[in-house]
Amino acid sequence: MAKRKSRRHQLHALRIVSQLVFLGLFIGLLVATALGTAVTARPWLAQLFLITDPLLLVGTTLAGAFSAALLAALAVLGFSFFFPRAYCGWICPLGTSMDIVDKVLFRKRKRTREAAPALRQVKYGLLVVLLVTAVFGLGVFGWFDPICIATRSFAVVVYPIADWAAKTGLVAAEKAGVGPAADVYDWASGAGLFIRDANFKEGSTGIGYLWLAVFAAVLLGIWLAQAYQKRFWCRNLCPLGAMLGLVGSASPFRPRVSDACIACGACRDGCKVGAFQPAADGERYRNLVQEFIVCYACEREFCPVDAIHIGVGRPAPVRPAPRVVPGRRAFLGSAAATVVVAPAMILDQRTREKNETNPKVRPPGALRPDTDFLAVCVRCGACMRVCPTNALHPSGIENGVAGLWTPTFVFNIGYCEYYCGVSAEDVQAGRLDSTANLCGKVCPTGAIRPLTHSEKVAHKIGTAVFNHTRCLPWARGEECLTCEEQCPLPDKAISHRTEDVANLDWLALPESQRNRYEDLQARLADDTLSAAEQQELESMPPKSRLLARPYVLRDRCIGCGTCENVCPLDGPSGVRVERLQTREIHSGGTRRRVQRRSRRGGGGD
Amino acid sequence: MARGLSRRTFLAGTSAAAIGAAGMAGLSGCGGGGDQAAYRARAHPQAEAWKNRIGLAQGGNDPARNVRTAIENLCAKDGVRTFIRQGDVVAVKPNIGWAQVPEMGATVDPAVVAEVVRLCREAGAGTVKVFDNSVGTDTKCYQFSGIETAAREAGAEVFLCQRHRFRTVVFADPRCKRLKEWPIYDDVLTADVLVNIAVAKTHNLSYVTLCMKNLMGTQGGDRGKMHQEIHQNLADLNVTITPTFNILDATRVMIDGGPSGGRKDQIVRADTIVCGTSATTVDCWAADPANLPWPKGHHDLAAVEMVTRGAEASLGTADPAKIEVSA
Repeated sequence: MAKRKSRRHQLHALRIVSQLVFLGLFIGLLVATALGTAVTARPWLAQLFLITDPLLLVGTTLAGAFSAALLAALAVLGFSFFFPRAYCGWICPLGTSMDIVDKVLFRKRKRTREAAPALRQVKYGLLVVLLVTAVFGLGVFGWFDPICIATRSFAVVVYPIADWAAKTGLVAAEKAGVGPAADVYDWASGAGLFIRDANFKEGSTGIGYLWLAVFAAVLLGIWLAQAYQKRFWCRNLCPLGAMLGLVGSASPFRPRVSDACIACGACRDGCKVGAFQPAADGERYRNLVQEFIVCYACEREFCPVDAIHIGVGRPAPVRPAPRVVPGRRAFLGSAAATVVVAPAMILDQRTREKNETNPKVRPPGALRPDTDFLAVCVRCGACMRVCPTNALHPSGIENGVAGLWTPTFVFNIGYCEYYCGVSAEDVQAGRLDSTANLCGKVCPTGAIRPLTHSEKVAHKIGTAVFNHTRCLPWARGEECLTCEEQCPLPDKAISHRTEDVANLDWLALPESQRNRYEDLQARLADDTLSAAEQQELESMPPKSRLLARPYVLRDRCIGCGTCENVCPLDGPSGVRVERLQTREIHSGGTRRRVQRRSRRGGGGD
Repeated sequence: MARGLSRRTFLAGTSAAAIGAAGMAGLSGCGGGGDQAAYRARAHPQAEAWKNRIGLAQGGNDPARNVRTAIENLCAKDGVRTFIRQGDVVAVKPNIGWAQVPEMGATVDPAVVAEVVRLCREAGAGTVKVFDNSVGTDTKCYQFSGIETAAREAGAEVFLCQRHRFRTVVFADPRCKRLKEWPIYDDVLTADVLVNIAVAKTHNLSYVTLCMKNLMGTQGGDRGKMHQEIHQNLADLNVTITPTFNILDATRVMIDGGPSGGRKDQIVRADTIVCGTSATTVDCWAADPANLPWPKGHHDLAAVEMVTRGAEASLGTADPAKIEVSA
């Protein structure tokens, strides 16, 4: 083992800057997206990292859901042909976050050098599995795509935790009498930086923030696996990395190891992704071109004898690449296994069709039928963070394993805002032809179509249904109508009729008193009551009372969930938005095939 | 065999656990409420004497002028100086409840709010705060109603209500029959003067929503729970949080689809502004189908029970014959 040189490559600093700039850009764009302002004019900004992700391009295309915006990913594919995994080393925000964690936590940690080289093959298997699944119309590659992971983690973990920490800290400071704390809080809240306070209800059964813990665990897992290997995820699991590596297999700019190599192993040990391996003869090391993240550290910093040369030019003997890419048999095996697994997922989804908890209450503009949505949605979670009332959350497996982490409404927390992407000026000037649903605006794949305001307010998400065993006027004889009050539609979809209903308080009286009441009532009709008796009658609860009871006008209801959100009941609301019945989808004028085609034609309608 | 736990690992582990635990605690315990406080804004000096009086201005199409006239009709040329002293902190609580543009009549006309802010400033108020705990998405409501911009231009502080700034107020007055306590916004409790500005609309439960119901915007907590026996609840609320001055903006009257609105054909222009020291009396006058263009057969005055309950709590009168109109 030779001593490490301290000389840095000229590009070292540039790469660090690039990594930080792209990480900053990624986070900045996500925050801007969360504010819902920057994206209003330029949705491609919000989608930037996702539409340049080649895995999404290939995956959605295989799933039959090609969209033109994703062609931007060809740029990444193009330079990957020459610099196989430069994306991983220079751009990928998840990779940069790993490097930062590594620098902070594991700087001095000694890690195994011989760490399971076969593990590297897993990512190729995963890539094949995900792409074959895509052919079956399931967009589940988003579960493992690093940009989707980063976007989702930010939306569901990092931002909510930062939001919570900022709020808690500022509130504590305000209570402790720190002057500017209250002003900072007001400013942040006014600027829309804070997540709108979740309207959590006691005993609510919503999915809510359950996934926060799961995504936090995934993110921590990715970061902390570096205790075993630097960039464990990138080396062994990342399907996007696998794809880019394969694309760059024939790169002319690969690192070449000359005969000067003394097989000291410094390159393998120093390399962030361990992209070197002893050659078969054991006399020298070879570069694994599919792992090459173009950081150039091996050439200058690691090799004590300058045996590594990157770039075209200097001749170097080329030997067969070591077997890091699995063989044809392994590829075919993975593909064959998926051919069994994917239909199982589809079956699983169908068998859950009748589940009571099956959400399928999708964002406005989500493709229908739901199988179309599942094919196109990449589970990136961008819609969840942009939602102004924090109403969109990742679903569990209620809609089948394939539906995991797709967006669904949790009306306990928020509702679909009537004027979501529309400003007061737009309304006053009658400029209502711009995109009105922010979720549809940021969706990178068109799984949620952009809707204009008039389309959005006519789009049925679901239908509100009263639960007569819970709703206060229906089940408890108390007046309420909070749902009707707050129904945002100009023609309210909830109305009420006043009915003479049995008074539960009267029914609770002992039989003798009830008889007495009937007796007094009968005599009241005859006008033979004494003043004392009249007073007695008035002090008793009436046998029945007039009560306004709400009902849904289902042809008006668009399922925005405001009623479910504001229901004052503790626990499950007395009115719930249920997914549409097929009849309602058709009568709602959703023109699904037509829309599907126009989406394929590029751009939404 | 036994591997030592490094300080770094230990610290990382414990801090991660602490963040996790605190996060869980924070997320589960983010309810409203908080410490207790009491309402202390002054009553109008003439509150008792003018209990059955209202100031009225009608006609024209200038709501700002109407609000000025209405106040002068009630308070003579001293206007708001009758209840505002030099350096006062004035809380102005307009209806900013819904994300609708002013023409929809779901919220107070921004010109009315701006004019009131200007009058308070001219009368020497130290700070004028304009806020409402909106029913809809608050940022949208502030923007759509036009009140945020108008009030700020007139010199008011305008801010969104924050959940942690509600303080529990005990409804100790014996006239409160149903409510025991409720979280009320801090800036209402710390103000010297509370000006209540409502808009005249129909309401699906209480027939109409006027000044008494407008005070719900000072409340936090689960306001849907106000809807069970709403009339008594509103009387209790008005007993505890009694505004110094009440203004009803009936420039546009929402005659159907209230209180959220959203259709211009449900709006009737009445170009009327009413004000008074008693919300109950103002509401009694305004709820009377004889005085505002409520649709025929929509309600009779007796059905607007909150007025009766308010009168029972001697907040004002429920008898339109007793109302003294200064026009």
